[in-house]
Amino acid sequence: MAESAASPLAAGRSGRRAVRSKREVAEKEEEETAALGRRSVELSRFYQGKIETVPKVPVRSLADFSLWYTPGVAAVSRTIEADRDQSFELTGRWNTIAIVTDGSRVLGLGDIGPEAALPVMEGKALLFKYLGGVDAVPVPIRVKSPDQFMATVEAIAPAFGGINLEDIASPKCFGILEELTQRLAVPVWHDDQLGTAAATVAGLLNALELTHRSIREVRTVLLGAGAANLVTARLLLTLGHDPRRLTLVDQRGILQAERSDVDELMLRNPWKYRLALQTNGGGRAGDLADAVREADVLLAASTPKPDTIRPEHIRAMAPGPIVFALANPVPEIWPDVARDSGAAIVATGRSDFPNQVNNSLVFPAVFRGVLDARARAIPDEIVLAAARELARGAAKKGLTPHHLLPTMEESDVFPEVAAAVGDAAVRLGIARRTLTHEEFLARATERMGRSARLVRALHRAHLTPPMPRGSPRPRSPR
Amino acid sequence: MTASNETNPPVSPAPSESPSVPIHLRPARPADIPALVPLLLRLKRLNEEFDPLLKVRDDADEQAHAVLAANLADPKSVVLAAEGIGADRDKVVGVVRAVVRERPFYVPEHEGVILDIYLLPLYRRRGVGEYLLREVSTALKAKGAGVVTAEFPAQNEIASRFYAKRGFRPITSIHARSL
Repeated sequence: MAESAASPLAAGRSGRRAVRSKREVAEKEEEETAALGRRSVELSRFYQGKIETVPKVPVRSLADFSLWYTPGVAAVSRTIEADRDQSFELTGRWNTIAIVTDGSRVLGLGDIGPEAALPVMEGKALLFKYLGGVDAVPVPIRVKSPDQFMATVEAIAPAFGGINLEDIASPKCFGILEELTQRLAVPVWHDDQLGTAAATVAGLLNALELTHRSIREVRTVLLGAGAANLVTARLLLTLGHDPRRLTLVDQRGILQAERSDVDELMLRNPWKYRLALQTNGGGRAGDLADAVREADVLLAASTPKPDTIRPEHIRAMAPGPIVFALANPVPEIWPDVARDSGAAIVATGRSDFPNQVNNSLVFPAVFRGVLDARARAIPDEIVLAAARELARGAAKKGLTPHHLLPTMEESDVFPEVAAAVGDAAVRLGIARRTLTHEEFLARATERMGRSARLVRALHRAHLTPPMPRGSPRPRSPR
Repeated sequence: MTASNETNPPVSPAPSESPSVPIHLRPARPADIPALVPLLLRLKRLNEEFDPLLKVRDDADEQAHAVLAANLADPKSVVLAAEGIGADRDKVVGVVRAVVRERPFYVPEHEGVILDIYLLPLYRRRGVGEYLLREVSTALKAKGAGVVTAEFPAQNEIASRFYAKRGFRPITSIHARSL
C-alpha cells in the first residue's frame, strides 16, 4: 500500500506544480530527496537522537527525592496497588504512549529490522509531542511472530496510556490490531490503517458535499487493497455506502468473489476476503478500466508510480469525478493530468499540492482526545468522529475544490478534533474520565500549544543547540 | 453413462427448497463434469496452501476430468453437484465427492469417506456446509457406510473446526515426509 501521508517535516522535498516534463519532475524529486537524506544523516550525527526525557517536577535539592522517589513514593505505589486505574492519575501514564514496531514495513524501505526503524520511530515520537503534546516512547522490538509481538506489547502495556503500532506489514497488522484491542485496556492505534483511512474519509466527506453527492448513492472504486484502503472500505460501509457500489482493485484486478485467489485470501487475509464477498455488486471482473466505468469516486492508495491511473480511466468515470491519488512520493496520477481529464476534485498525499490527505492531521489529535478521556480503546466510531470533525474544520474555513481538508498550518482544528474524540469516548462509555466538550477542548488546546512553547523555550535557552550550518533549510509546506 | 443416476442415490430435494440455503443439491451427471472440474481444482489449490506435499500437478485438470468420470461410473462413489437458486439456477456452484471404502479389520465394515467439499465463496452462507454434510452422509449410509469420515489437509484448521463442531474426531493420522 501507499505511504499515503507525508510527514509534514518531509514537506518541501518536491518542487511546486509547474510545467515540467515527467522525467524532469522525477529527476528533481530524486535529487531533492537525496539532499534531504544527506542532511538528515548529518543532523542525526550531530543531535544523536530527536527526543529525550525531561523532568516535569521541581527539584530544589536532593532532599526532594524523598518525595519523588523513596521513601515517599512507596505510598503512591500502594495507592495504585489498591486501584490500578490510579496509575493514570498519579504517574505520567495518562500522557505516555509506546510507538511499537517490528520494523517489518518501514516507510518504503520494507523489512529493515527494529534498529533501523528507530530513527523513524523517533521522528514519529517528535511529531506526537510537537503536534499532540503526547509523550511517545519509541519501542522497536525484535520478534519472530505475531503472537510474540502481541505478547510483548501486552507485557509493556502497564507503563502506557496507549499503544501506537507503526510500520507493520499488511495483512498481519489487521490481526494484531484487532487482537490487541481486545486484550488491552488502553487504546491501540495503527496509523497505516486508521490514520490514513480517517484522513481519506474526512476529505471524501467534503468532496461529496462539494459535488452534491450522497455517500449512500455513490459508486466508489478503491485502488490498492492494503492496510489503508481495507479500513477505508470498512469505514465507508459503516457510513452507509452501498457495498454493491463499492469495488476494490488490487494488482490482480477487480477483487470479486469468484477470483481464483479468493480461497487463499480466506486463509491469509480474512479482512480482504470479507470485502471480496460483500462488494462489487453485479460481479464486475477485469482491471481498473472495468472498475472505474461510471464511478463517482476513485480512492487510490497503491504503489507510488505515475500513470497507474491514466487519463482514460478518469474520462470513463461519471461526470465530475472525485479522485484521490494518495501514493507517496509519486501519486498514481499527477493532479493537473487528473483535472485535465475531467476530475472535479483531486487530492494527493503530498504537501506541495492542494488537498493533502495526511495522517498527521489525525493521529496527534486522536491520541490527545483518547488520552484526555483515559479511553480504553479506539473503536471505529471514534475514528469516524475524528474524520467528521476534521471535515467540519476544513468546511469552517470555506470549502473549495482546493480546500477539502485543513492544512497542517490550520492547527486550530486539531484541538477541535481532539475534543470530538474525547466526546465520542464519553458517549461510547469507554472513557475513564468524563469531561465536557469545553473541558476537552481547553485541555487539548493547552497541551497541544504547550509543546510548541516548550520547543521554542529550549531553543531560546540554548538547551537545544541551533542547527549546524549545512544545505539550505527545507521549504515549508504551503 | 446413465448409470451415474443410479449409482448416486436421489437426494431429497426438500431441504434445498428451504429459503435459508442458497443452493440446490443433486446427484452429479457426466454433463456436469466441465463445470465441476474448476471447482475441484480450486479446492486442490487451496490444499496446496497448507503443505508443499500437496502441490497440484500440472496435469491436474485432465486428472480431474478422468477422476470425476470414473467416480460417476462407480457404484461406490457419491458425487453431488450444488446449483444456485433464483438467478443462479443452473449454475454449478459447488461439488461434493465421497466414496465408500471397505474396512477389512474393523467394524463398522464400511466407511463413507468425504474426499472433497467445495463451494464458491458467495454460497458459503450459514447452514450450507451443514446441509451438504447431512446430504452426503445420507447418500453414503444408503450405500452401506456405517461410519462417515472426512479427509483434508492436517493444517486446515477451518475444516478441523467445521467437523469437530459436528461431532467428528480424529481417528487416524497420516504423516508424510519426502523421499
